[in-house]
Amino acid sequence: MSWFLRRLAISIGLVWIVATIVFLAIHLVPGDPAELLLSQGGVAPDPGAVADLRSQLGLDRPIGVQYADSMVRLLRGDLGSSLQDQSSVAQEIGRRLPRTLELIGAAMLIAVAAGVPAGTAAAMRRGSWWDRISGAVSGVALSVPVFVIGTVMVFVFAQRLHWVPAGGYVGFSQAPGLHLLLLAMPASAIAIGLAAVVFRMTRAAVLDVAAQDYVRTARAKGVAAGRILRHHVLRNALLPVVTIIALHLGGLLGGTVLVEYVFNWPGLSGLLVSAVVARDYPEVVGVVFTISVLFVALNFAVDVLFALLDPRVRAA
Amino acid sequence: MTLARTPVVTLALFVGLALIAPLLGLPDPVRMDAAHRLAPPSWPHPLGLDELGRDELSRVIWGGRASLAVAFVASLIAGLIGTLIGIAGGFLRGFVEQALLRAVDVVLCFPPLLLALLVVTLLGPGARTLILVLSVLFIPGFARVAYASTLAVRSHGFVEAVQALGASRPRIMLRTILPNVLGPVLVQLSLAAASAIVLESGLSFLGLGVVPPTPSWGLAIGAARATMNQAPLLLLWPSLALTATILAMNALCDALRDAFEPQAAVPRTVARHLRDAVFGPKAAAPPADKLLDIRDLTIAIETPRGTVAPVRGVSLSVAAGETLAIVGESGSGKTLTGLSILGLLPEAAYIRAGSISFAGNDLRALDDASWRRLRGHDLAMVFQDPMSSLNPLHRVGAQVAEAIAAHGAPAGEARGRAVALLRQVGIPDAERRAKAFPHELSGGMRQRVMIATAIANHPRLMVADEPTASLDVTIQAQVLDLLASLKRDGDMALIFISHSLPVVAEIADRVVVMYAGEVVEEGPVSSVFAAPAHPYTAALLASAPGEDGAPPRAIGGIVPSPDAVIPGCRFAPRCTHYIERCETEPSVMTEVAPGRYSRCVRWAEL
Repeated sequence: MSWFLRRLAISIGLVWIVATIVFLAIHLVPGDPAELLLSQGGVAPDPGAVADLRSQLGLDRPIGVQYADSMVRLLRGDLGSSLQDQSSVAQEIGRRLPRTLELIGAAMLIAVAAGVPAGTAAAMRRGSWWDRISGAVSGVALSVPVFVIGTVMVFVFAQRLHWVPAGGYVGFSQAPGLHLLLLAMPASAIAIGLAAVVFRMTRAAVLDVAAQDYVRTARAKGVAAGRILRHHVLRNALLPVVTIIALHLGGLLGGTVLVEYVFNWPGLSGLLVSAVVARDYPEVVGVVFTISVLFVALNFAVDVLFALLDPRVRAA
Repeated sequence: MTLARTPVVTLALFVGLALIAPLLGLPDPVRMDAAHRLAPPSWPHPLGLDELGRDELSRVIWGGRASLAVAFVASLIAGLIGTLIGIAGGFLRGFVEQALLRAVDVVLCFPPLLLALLVVTLLGPGARTLILVLSVLFIPGFARVAYASTLAVRSHGFVEAVQALGASRPRIMLRTILPNVLGPVLVQLSLAAASAIVLESGLSFLGLGVVPPTPSWGLAIGAARATMNQAPLLLLWPSLALTATILAMNALCDALRDAFEPQAAVPRTVARHLRDAVFGPKAAAPPADKLLDIRDLTIAIETPRGTVAPVRGVSLSVAAGETLAIVGESGSGKTLTGLSILGLLPEAAYIRAGSISFAGNDLRALDDASWRRLRGHDLAMVFQDPMSSLNPLHRVGAQVAEAIAAHGAPAGEARGRAVALLRQVGIPDAERRAKAFPHELSGGMRQRVMIATAIANHPRLMVADEPTASLDVTIQAQVLDLLASLKRDGDMALIFISHSLPVVAEIADRVVVMYAGEVVEEGPVSSVFAAPAHPYTAALLASAPGEDGAPPRAIGGIVPSPDAVIPGCRFAPRCTHYIERCETEPSVMTEVAPGRYSRCVRWAEL
């Protein structure tokens, strides 16, 4: 329990640091945000307009006050309002976040469901045609950028085969079948690269664990092969697999941004890309902060999962 | 150092094309020909024209220039700064180290693409922004790698030696440490460059990276989306170029890693499937009065340098209820002999010749199912290191119960019997300890758990492979007492493998002495002790501290490697009684007295 609390405290500390850095990034970067915002196209902005925007954004107050103010507002869940239409950033994020989470969840599920059995089979029959083919396929899967996979999938499955719409989103309650179909495409696009990572780690971990003394002990006990595989080999091999998934979370979230764009999935990234293009600071900051917090939270979840899987971690 | 050729050639091709792009006489990659938008391939335009009527081939080649330049410049900057930070942190320690580690943690809090987007918002898109962002993103990776390698190197003797010679710190860092961390840094450099290309193309794809009309693969893929129904090839070319480059860089990473971190490379072993190692090998008339009878057993191991035989022509037998000790130095082949009895030889090892029969059954002919029924039931084994032999993720009670349940007992009954077994092997408070994990028990307790597991189904033969070698001396005595009492209470036969003669004297009835894969002496333990019939046995006895306080005398020389070619007696090169006859006469086991055998050609004279 104390392990859990300590880990939770670290995560909260990380969220605070993330918030501080996002704040600093905006205020310490050379040039005034208001000025930058108004000076698109290389024309020097009107000083009066800059002053107005500065006071509208609260940029004319001392930096310490601004920092304290922004932290207090973060605690209240207030991420400010969009510069484009004055709508609440937090509300818009709240509307889109579940869709992004759903996409990430589905992608992880597909990656693990494909990568772990394939990796185990490859390790168990090392050197077989299955091992060689799946190893080569995973090498290619690791090398194709996620937006290329997505674009090719749209071309093949939507434009040529007409199996699925080119992208978009329908609520689950409105049309469950179509919702899942529309989810499957972007989720698979993200999952391909992750599945390759999971495959490689599973293969290496199973090979490693199978050579451990305790697997020999299990054999010496006369335990059935299937049980050795499930209870001894896979159970232990899962630990590095969980670790590698955690290490790839950052890339996964970045991939989600690109894939949402490709498939027109109305999650956080559509908001982010349009906000970056429009230089809508509050929205960019809100989304970057949210995704970074999500990143920290996912890492925390992985740590907890790891502790559930490995009693030695709980004791440490 | 040999690198795989294909990735290097592919990469060299792309980099080369990008470098000499201006010299190729290609059409201007930004000149538009609106009248011929999406024109199909033709002689002057081998890949056709793109959606704005620009030459596609020229744009793919020039696009590589943008992507590769950003990737290489950013990785180089990050590599330089990161490596210096990492070396400084690892070498100077203290505040620098702490600041480094914390800063790295913080940067790693941001998903890379997100951090890039944040900076693009602040500074606007463009190649310079990309280089800045990517450098910042990759510095922590380099710093970590350099830091870890520096920590590994700084404790080496030569760094300390240079320090003692009075070299200045910057000089040590640059001249002594830097060359040693270069390998891992180079691997990291290829990783960073590959990842930079992915990020650059992703950002350009979103329209937030390289600014049009500069050609870039990411931009081209993004643009081809709109017209891919009419001109799918426009999607294909940049995708292919991008993927091939990343594939080549990833392959180069793997090759570099194998070259610089040999321990990370998967060893190329024989083409036997792991399945056989986990599930046991698929397996060729024996006397029945012995419980176990091994005849002329030869075990071979496939190594990269050829086949070696660490066990050659070993014969031994155990009667029901008897305790046989197998004694020898490390490398004598005693452990492999023990493992072969349960069919647990490691993956690369196999039985090349000889027979093993147990209770009249030929063990080499057993199928997987029969092995499974035999192991843990009639045949049990206790291993040398109880920590690594217990599964770290399962409670010890469950691991004992698993042995019982594996042979047909219901789960509930198995759990109850497991606790009783733990009590029987002298674990206090057995109910509570059954719920403990291996790391929560002491070494002695762990070995008791292993013994409880081994005796769970009242085996007819237990093989104990140096069960006390990893334990403290006092604990060793307790475990030996436990084994001795278990023996007294039942009719179990025991093979006790040890490198120490005095230890086996307390427990064994008979002893087999092994040297360099061969049995050199065999006989009742008391007579072998009192009057060894082989010089090696005598040397082994003298090498243990005597009970009368006589100082131990080490045996000169080392055990020959299994592939050494030694004529005659294999112990001859180390033997103090060596004469020429030892090498010319074949050394064979000879009965020197009833029930006593020796391989020494001079046994009669010594």
